[in-house]
Amino acid sequence: MTVENNQDETGGASGTSPGVAFPGASSGVSAPLPRRDLLALGAAGAAAALPLFSRAARAAESIKLGWVGPLSPPGGYAEGLLMKYAAAMAADEINAQGGVLGRPIEILYQDTRGLPAEGTAAAERLIVQDKVVALLGEFHSSVALAEMEVVHKYNVPMMFCDVWSQEITAKGYPQVFRNSTTFPLLDTAIAQWIVAAGFKNVALLCEQDDIGLAGRKIAADVLTEAKVPFKLYTADPQATDFTAQILRIKAEKPAFDFFFVLYAEAGAYPMVTQAKSLDFAPTPQTGFFLSGGEGVDPTFWKNVGNAGVWLLSENVGLPKSGWNDMTKAFVKAFNAKYKTDPPGSAMESYDAVRSLVEAIKSTGSTTPEAIIHGLETLKWTGTRGLYTFSTSHTPDWAFHQFMAAPMSIIQYDQVNQSSFDAPIVWPKNYATVPYLYKTPTA
Amino acid sequence: MRRLDLASAALLAILAVIFPFFVNAYWLHVMIIGMMFAIMAASWSLLAGYAGQFSFGHMGFVAVGGYTAGLLATGLNLPLPLGMLAGVLLSALLGGVIGWTCLRMSGPYLAIFTMAFSEVLRIIIVTEVEVTGGAGGMNVPQLFHARTDLPYYYLILALLMVSVGGMMAVVASRWGLFFRAIRENEQAAAAAGVKVTRFRIIAFAIASSLAGLAGAFYAPYIGILTPDVASQDQMGLVVAMAIVGGMESLPGAVAGAIVVEFLVEALRSYGQWRLVLFGALLLFTMRFARNGLIAPGWLRLRNLAAPRGARLAKEAAD
Amino acid sequence: MLQYFLIQAANGLVIGILFALIATGLTIIFSILKIVNFAHGEIYMVGGYFGYYVITLLGVPPFPAVLVAMALTFLFSIAVERGLLTPLYSPRIERKADYGILVTFGLSVFLRNIAIIIFGPFPLRPPSFITGDLVLGGLIISYDRLVAAGGGLLLLGALIWFLNRTVWGQALNAVSQSRESASIVGINSERMYMLAFGLGGALAGGAGALIAPIYSLSPSMGLVPDTQAFVIVILGGLGSVSGTIIAALLLGLSENLFIAFLPDPSRGPSYANAFGLAIMMLVLLFRPTGIFGRQHVAME
Repeated sequence: MTVENNQDETGGASGTSPGVAFPGASSGVSAPLPRRDLLALGAAGAAAALPLFSRAARAAESIKLGWVGPLSPPGGYAEGLLMKYAAAMAADEINAQGGVLGRPIEILYQDTRGLPAEGTAAAERLIVQDKVVALLGEFHSSVALAEMEVVHKYNVPMMFCDVWSQEITAKGYPQVFRNSTTFPLLDTAIAQWIVAAGFKNVALLCEQDDIGLAGRKIAADVLTEAKVPFKLYTADPQATDFTAQILRIKAEKPAFDFFFVLYAEAGAYPMVTQAKSLDFAPTPQTGFFLSGGEGVDPTFWKNVGNAGVWLLSENVGLPKSGWNDMTKAFVKAFNAKYKTDPPGSAMESYDAVRSLVEAIKSTGSTTPEAIIHGLETLKWTGTRGLYTFSTSHTPDWAFHQFMAAPMSIIQYDQVNQSSFDAPIVWPKNYATVPYLYKTPTA
Repeated sequence: MRRLDLASAALLAILAVIFPFFVNAYWLHVMIIGMMFAIMAASWSLLAGYAGQFSFGHMGFVAVGGYTAGLLATGLNLPLPLGMLAGVLLSALLGGVIGWTCLRMSGPYLAIFTMAFSEVLRIIIVTEVEVTGGAGGMNVPQLFHARTDLPYYYLILALLMVSVGGMMAVVASRWGLFFRAIRENEQAAAAAGVKVTRFRIIAFAIASSLAGLAGAFYAPYIGILTPDVASQDQMGLVVAMAIVGGMESLPGAVAGAIVVEFLVEALRSYGQWRLVLFGALLLFTMRFARNGLIAPGWLRLRNLAAPRGARLAKEAAD
Repeated sequence: MLQYFLIQAANGLVIGILFALIATGLTIIFSILKIVNFAHGEIYMVGGYFGYYVITLLGVPPFPAVLVAMALTFLFSIAVERGLLTPLYSPRIERKADYGILVTFGLSVFLRNIAIIIFGPFPLRPPSFITGDLVLGGLIISYDRLVAAGGGLLLLGALIWFLNRTVWGQALNAVSQSRESASIVGINSERMYMLAFGLGGALAGGAGALIAPIYSLSPSMGLVPDTQAFVIVILGGLGSVSGTIIAALLLGLSENLFIAFLPDPSRGPSYANAFGLAIMMLVLLFRPTGIFGRQHVAME
């Protein structure tokens, strides 16, 4: 067997292709390994070994928080990124004011990609390896459900942000808090508004996953009780073409007068434009509510154009009329730095950092018990209002839930309207217009 | 098997057994996941590298194993180990069926057919929400009720050693010869008397059963099973592991899986850059180091240990 | 009912033409280079973004922007080909099909994720070609869709003309049949490979630029076309341009009608994709080389 000095490729069976290979022939490497390969191997090995050499005890004084959320596919990386920015802003501001307990805070970010296994690994790493005192964030309920098991196992408090499944707090883990709304709060309110606005035949479409289905069920229950007829539909989270489906919904008799969509993926935009161009909704005959956050995203108008006028959406930030100084300052700073309005989920992320810091401040300690106690007794005003976390277990999802999580229903009446300026139709105490629903002009 | 190989294998085994006592829970978790991927990568390597059947449906079988175990445990209240066994058997059966349906296909047709299979499976899991929990996931009960992951670690270590050991035995036997014959030139192999049909199906069945095994372990370990486990992104990860390790080396695939898993974890703090770097690694390895990084590297190291003359003789005997 | 059917069918055909544009590039690449380009969906995505930035940063109007985007995608594809695919042409790699699969797979992961960083994660939408909708009785189709379909037909027609009537096209055809014979008559096969990959990429890029106003651009938009294009190309037969076009129209029609008429409206859309995949799997079972495909020829 000749030893070939092949500098470029460590070839297979020495360049010849026998009809039947002999054992070992293909796996043998007769040529010396080229330098390139060695380099690559060394680099890979070094990179893999890197984490095992623990980071030099950096500023042993800093208080570490762990942020989790989607920063790459298949997760909702668009929203995740904004939430990360908001958390980073909070940390910078707090440190600029001297930190907490005389120590700076440091946030470590982990990409969970919308996958529960990644959530578990991220949480484990932050707690066990990086020794954070608390976690915050997340955008996908399924990932949150995996993460909360980890924080429960290690007894580390976690402030969940934009995850709406009621199961997260319903389990009653003492470590788990949530500062966003939850389906029972949100979709009950939306469905109640639908009833109050007098719609008589509703098409309920949700995306085919937990977010959609859980929310849709709650809305459906409210409508059933109010005896408003409805039909249920689902849509593929990955789809961008809903033409066939919309046409089918439009062809139903009797015709629907309201289209309630729970869809939080990028496909929401084409869905809106297609529904409009097919003359289904929003039209004088049929109203359109888009739930899930896409309706208030930075690129909403760029993608949707005229079709977005008369669309309804929920807004989980504070309505502008209720903005306090902190909200105004935050919105201004976020806009200056990132050239876009911060959505409600970003505000949740910002407030999460700050409320954890408040809890630490109030109890003077970073132990889990201290932070949990600090959060349970919290009465602090953030960008989304006055935060308190319930300690009641009735209903089961109320435990450690921010029950007063703001929610308002807006209906755009102009193109390129900011979600902050759009008319608020619900709840009544925040409404900026006298009507519940404005029928679109043709 | 040569003495050096045996010695190093023994050393590795000892290191593996004592590993948990030197690392914290997080790295233990990473290693467990790495070993689980190792089973997936090695079995894929058997199918694609040795038998030449480029299947992109491998993760579909992982899903079959996981969901079977989970559904039987939660729906029929079967004890979990039984459900896991059922998952493995079903994967083997399904794998054989797929292997049989693909008999007339090769190369890209086979790749796309199997990819389609995996996708259809994933879509069904996503759509049939009442049964599978859909994209939100299905909760699976725990296998062990221990405070730490130690029992899981030793379980997956045992499973890994058994499956890789078994596969290496197959590869070293006449079956391995038949696989490679089929890979190089099917018609010539058939002419030489290799029962191509039977062994293609066997290769699929073995590989799929092990994928199912990994899935059946994954489900109770993570506790929540989502359809993403069958996504093409995950398939790409396993492919990368097999490539980095060396497509025709089972221990290489194992090493590749563990190295890539640690690498992926190490890159975690890079957020969005993680998969970019990862895709780049895959491209780089394919372009410049087609036989992988680890297997050739290991062979080189091993050959360095012997004097030159003996080395040549060893290589000739290899 | 008839009207409902007609509307759904019309939409299905429009979608089919758009599919055809993407899939045809894939089949050309396969025909000449004998590899399956798993990154085709990502090249489609890149082309769409090229179109967007050409319009917004350079101020090119939407119609010419499609051509500019195609040119840019052509260059981009050639760069990819030179950088990653040249090992295919040397005898060093034994299993060329496998190499092609793996390297384009890695490329797709890489492109998809780096696009998030470069283009940002939020969907973007270039301005419409023509705003508004065509209303013919009960039939409503947006002008953008008609433009995309029309543009697609034009491009497909140009492609067929190119392949059959020009020297380059005939050279490509020759190489697809036999590289060795082609080089005997003096055709530089390496240049043909560059051309084929560039051309295939340009078609995908053109599709991206045409479709962008309809569906918006996002970094992961290549994922679904990736699979769809495969289904079509396999159905039509790898390497057959006409087969691809027909298969694309069939797929667009059938998926739409599937959603339109399946009794269970909630399952319809999710299963539509699975439906296409299942059809492809069935065809492969009975005709492993697709409806019109030639016998699978490995690259020599």
